[in-house]
Amino acid sequence: MEQKVTAASIEKKSLIGQRVKKPDAPDKATGKTRYINDMVLPQMLIGKVLFAGRPHAKIVSMDISAAERLPGVYAVLTGKDAAGLKFGFVRDNVPLKEKVLCEHDEVAAVAAETEEIALNALSLIKVEYEDLPGVFSPEVGREASAPQLRDNFPDNKSLRFEFKHGDLAAAEAASDFIADDVFRPHHVTHCCMGTSCAIADFDNNGKLTIWTQTQYPYNYKMDLAPALGITPGDIRVMQPPVGGAFGSKLDVYPYEPIAALLARKTGRPVKVIYSREDEFRASPTRQAAIIHMRTGCKRDGTLTFRTADVLLDNGAYTSWGPTIPVIMMRTTSGHYRVPVVDFKAQAIYTNNPYAGSFRGYGNVQTTYATAQQMDILADKLDMDPLAFHLKNAQKSGEITPQKSFLRECVLAECLETAAQATDYSRKRAAYAAERDKPGRYKKGIGLASSIHNAGGAKIHKSDGIGTILKVDDYARVTVITGASEIGQGIDAVINLIVSEELGVPLEHVTIVNNDSDIAPWDVGVHASRTTFIAGNGTRQAARKAKAQILKAAEKMLGEPADTLELRGGSVVRDRCGTPLIKLDRLLRQMHFQAVPELVMVTDYYEPNSEPEGADHISDHSAAYSHAVHIAEITVDTLTGEIKVDKITSAQDVGRVINRMGLEAQTEGGIAIGLGYALSENMQLEQGILRNPSFRDYKLVTAPEMPELEMHFIESNCAEGPYGAKGVSELPTIVIAPAIANALFNATGVRIFNPPLSPEKVARAIYEKQQSGK
Amino acid sequence: MQDIKTYMTPCSVGEAVKAMAAGGVTAFCGGTDLSPQVESGARQYTATLMNIRRIEGMGGIAEQGDSIRIGALTTVTEIRRDPLIAKVAPILAEAAEHFASDQIRNAASVGGNICNASPAGDMINPLLVLDAEVELARWQDGAVATRRVAMADFFLAPRKTVKRDDELLTAIVFKRPAADFVGYFRKSGPRPALEISTVSVGIGGRMSNGVFRDVRVAMGSVAPTPLRARNVEAALEGKPLNADTIRAAVAATSADAKPIDDVRASAWYREHLVKVFTEEVLNHVLGN
Ligand SMILES: Cc1cc2nc3c(=O)[nH]c(=O)nc-3n(C[C@H](O)[C@H](O)[C@H](O)COP(=O)(O)OP(=O)(O)OC[C@H]3O[C@@H](n4cnc5c(N)ncnc54)[C@H](O)[C@@H]3O)c2cc1C
Repeated sequence: MEQKVTAASIEKKSLIGQRVKKPDAPDKATGKTRYINDMVLPQMLIGKVLFAGRPHAKIVSMDISAAERLPGVYAVLTGKDAAGLKFGFVRDNVPLKEKVLCEHDEVAAVAAETEEIALNALSLIKVEYEDLPGVFSPEVGREASAPQLRDNFPDNKSLRFEFKHGDLAAAEAASDFIADDVFRPHHVTHCCMGTSCAIADFDNNGKLTIWTQTQYPYNYKMDLAPALGITPGDIRVMQPPVGGAFGSKLDVYPYEPIAALLARKTGRPVKVIYSREDEFRASPTRQAAIIHMRTGCKRDGTLTFRTADVLLDNGAYTSWGPTIPVIMMRTTSGHYRVPVVDFKAQAIYTNNPYAGSFRGYGNVQTTYATAQQMDILADKLDMDPLAFHLKNAQKSGEITPQKSFLRECVLAECLETAAQATDYSRKRAAYAAERDKPGRYKKGIGLASSIHNAGGAKIHKSDGIGTILKVDDYARVTVITGASEIGQGIDAVINLIVSEELGVPLEHVTIVNNDSDIAPWDVGVHASRTTFIAGNGTRQAARKAKAQILKAAEKMLGEPADTLELRGGSVVRDRCGTPLIKLDRLLRQMHFQAVPELVMVTDYYEPNSEPEGADHISDHSAAYSHAVHIAEITVDTLTGEIKVDKITSAQDVGRVINRMGLEAQTEGGIAIGLGYALSENMQLEQGILRNPSFRDYKLVTAPEMPELEMHFIESNCAEGPYGAKGVSELPTIVIAPAIANALFNATGVRIFNPPLSPEKVARAIYEKQQSGK
Repeated sequence: MQDIKTYMTPCSVGEAVKAMAAGGVTAFCGGTDLSPQVESGARQYTATLMNIRRIEGMGGIAEQGDSIRIGALTTVTEIRRDPLIAKVAPILAEAAEHFASDQIRNAASVGGNICNASPAGDMINPLLVLDAEVELARWQDGAVATRRVAMADFFLAPRKTVKRDDELLTAIVFKRPAADFVGYFRKSGPRPALEISTVSVGIGGRMSNGVFRDVRVAMGSVAPTPLRARNVEAALEGKPLNADTIRAAVAATSADAKPIDDVRASAWYREHLVKVFTEEVLNHVLGN
């Protein structure tokens, strides 16, 4: 067939590493986006939950009759209606409780015509409690004298993890210096701008449709089903736009089965939505821990061993929080070259709120310890921390004691880049020399690094993703993917990759990823995995489509497929870019030919990682990455206020895919890290949250964001899409220890229990001065 | 939740206080204290909700003889931007500068800040330093009757003042400070916006020939009410301001500040900050 060549040649222009905007940004910026919180279904009722408001109690009696009689109330449920509906990581939770184990225990729920009626109904429920002595710290909880919170968990012991490698006694004997400290990372919570919300609706065949904020729609079915006594196959998960998740939606929490139970009882859709106060009280937290860490080294700076004895505050129920040792031990054994490791962690049930997963997943807590001990040891050695870090930095090809294979490792380059950009070594020495001189304001500089999985984490049997890709008669591409979008920007990445592979404009790509009846399997948004996993899946699917298209082009144009390319919406000659036929025209010709052909491909991508086994010795991620962040601060030694002047980061990102998304993930990660380091703190008193509002729970606000300088180091990951690695957790992980190290540099005080609040800093400096040290 | 039966928007003080005389009226100005308090269940609206923002003659900042009169409806933003305040009482503008955020400052009134009677009220502190009086109006014998109360005598307890339920706060009045008056305000909090004072300290007085006179020291969040720190004042009054008097003033703070532990800070930290701020503000005065 002869083609008229009309257009000039089309140059090859790669989008990889360019700045691409999020497709939902204009709608979000203009208020057009309909979040789940905005959704209204016909006949929908509003569900409200009655929280116990006390940490540990027996429910002596409950009278719901007045609430049931209130006009406009359609259902009132109590623990009796949920008996036996056990769910959760170790099946220790039920949607509604018959016994109170923490402040936010859900003891009753109401569905009513309006929120006002539902709230009135709650106030009419009479509960008589008998308060019981509680357990509010894991140290107390593990004592024999402590109240036993659960029959089948002696000494309140929940999950336990261990990992040992090498001869500890010999390593200790060979050490010239040992850092030995106890760190106490605290309770914080995610503070999603969209509060928790679920809408549930059963059809008459018993199939549940649930609109939720979940970030793991497929395993979510498996986890939700037992809370309702139905099978996972009877659940359809819908994912409307959400106002944040950050790990908080990686499990089923009671309000979701409560919405479903109310829907089943009333036969109508029921929406449960939290107020901000509910959100503070009833959302998962970041896991609080007590970390006794020891790190040894020789006089020349070579690390000899690291031990961690970790006690976790399990809270009242077991969600993802107490499973963080899986990552804590990777950091303990893999943050720098540590030949000998001894890690153990024990979670203890308490009557505190319980933890879920939260950006950084255990690594925020562990790095707070490891990265400070690197600084502490450097001081003992009287060595520049940079030199100390470099001496122990792994190189490409090294394998950690847990068998993490660091195939492409650019830790040294990250260290050198960040240090050079900040003039770190000189400033650190100069500030240290200033610190005991008079003067109210002191400057400090602190370096912290960490390691994190950057190619998924195979903690399930599969860490893969399914992708379906179709190209229609107008060359519009639809990607049906398991990858959830919770604000992190996989939408822009998928558009970019499809555009890169198929040569269609970014705006010609549509993503369908919000209906579990349509989109195929994916593990979920966690472990910094989505760009890595879904990026690979999308690329593979797009390449299959491309191969099909070019094969058809070969037949029609009579030119070999391997000399053709897709560019600028056309099929072109790869070498010179001469356009041969418009892509949409070719697609129509494929469709309407004698033997019709549509472009619809499927793909399943499974990373080449190994499952995390019981012994924790496996290459559980397809890639690992490092970040080095340097914080420069000014401390008001009288008020204790820390002003962060600048954060400089150098991170191994493998390869930049969407530069704008990467910058945003880094900035957002740093903001969360700053809040954790400086001001965010759930003030728990005997299990009761004292600051359930943004007035007294202090997020970092825009004016406090310091200057940021980001360096993206490209290590070109062999397994990653175009060489990319996962990026989004590391910036959160390294901030607090970088600031803590800077605080020490400025003032000589070190704070082991974050946040580094003005009061804590002022007090530590005051006490240091009083003791004349 | 209490149902609001009537909503009214009086145009004159007379109309407002006449309605208030009947009882059961909640005055609503910017609503920045009221709405969150009702929302959280800490208090309830009464049967009549009265929007007082349209009352004529209750806004604006003006000079009246040797006094400055600030209408109760004046917003924190207006105070922050007012040229007269900038000239005669910059301490008040300084406090407005560190108040909440733009959105709140645009709605929040100075009258509401005073009537809310929080020990952390940021307008109260500089007004105590300026020795201001509040003007209260009520309906009596068929006419509007007003009285004046010194700010220093106005507060009884958290959220409790000498203002009767049927009284409207109409204005704040203070003498135009003398030419040699200096005053500074300091509040704590690392967050540049949206920070409730953990502690605030305001100090003002006349500085001439190195001697500090008519000294007034106000403290916020160190007691159940905002207070005048009489012991600190005594340590400074009529004395030359130097390192020794500053040291004495700092020492005297513990006689005035009786803070408690709460979610925002411990008593220790508040006492510590009061000392730090007292010294800092006095050094500022000295530096001028
Ligand atoms: C996010 C946020 C941040 C804040 N930050 C600060 C801060 O930094 N510093 C600070 O001091 N405050 C702060 N506040 C508190 C509040 O904004 C101030 O106290 C404000 O000045 C109250 O004024 P209003 O006009 O909104 O009062 P309203 O809420 O309308 O009224 C408050 C009380 O005073 C009564 N009232 C009001 N006006 C009169 C009148 N003329 N006569 C009689 N009674 C009256 C009302 O009945 C009510 O009891 C903050 C509040 C919020 C929500």
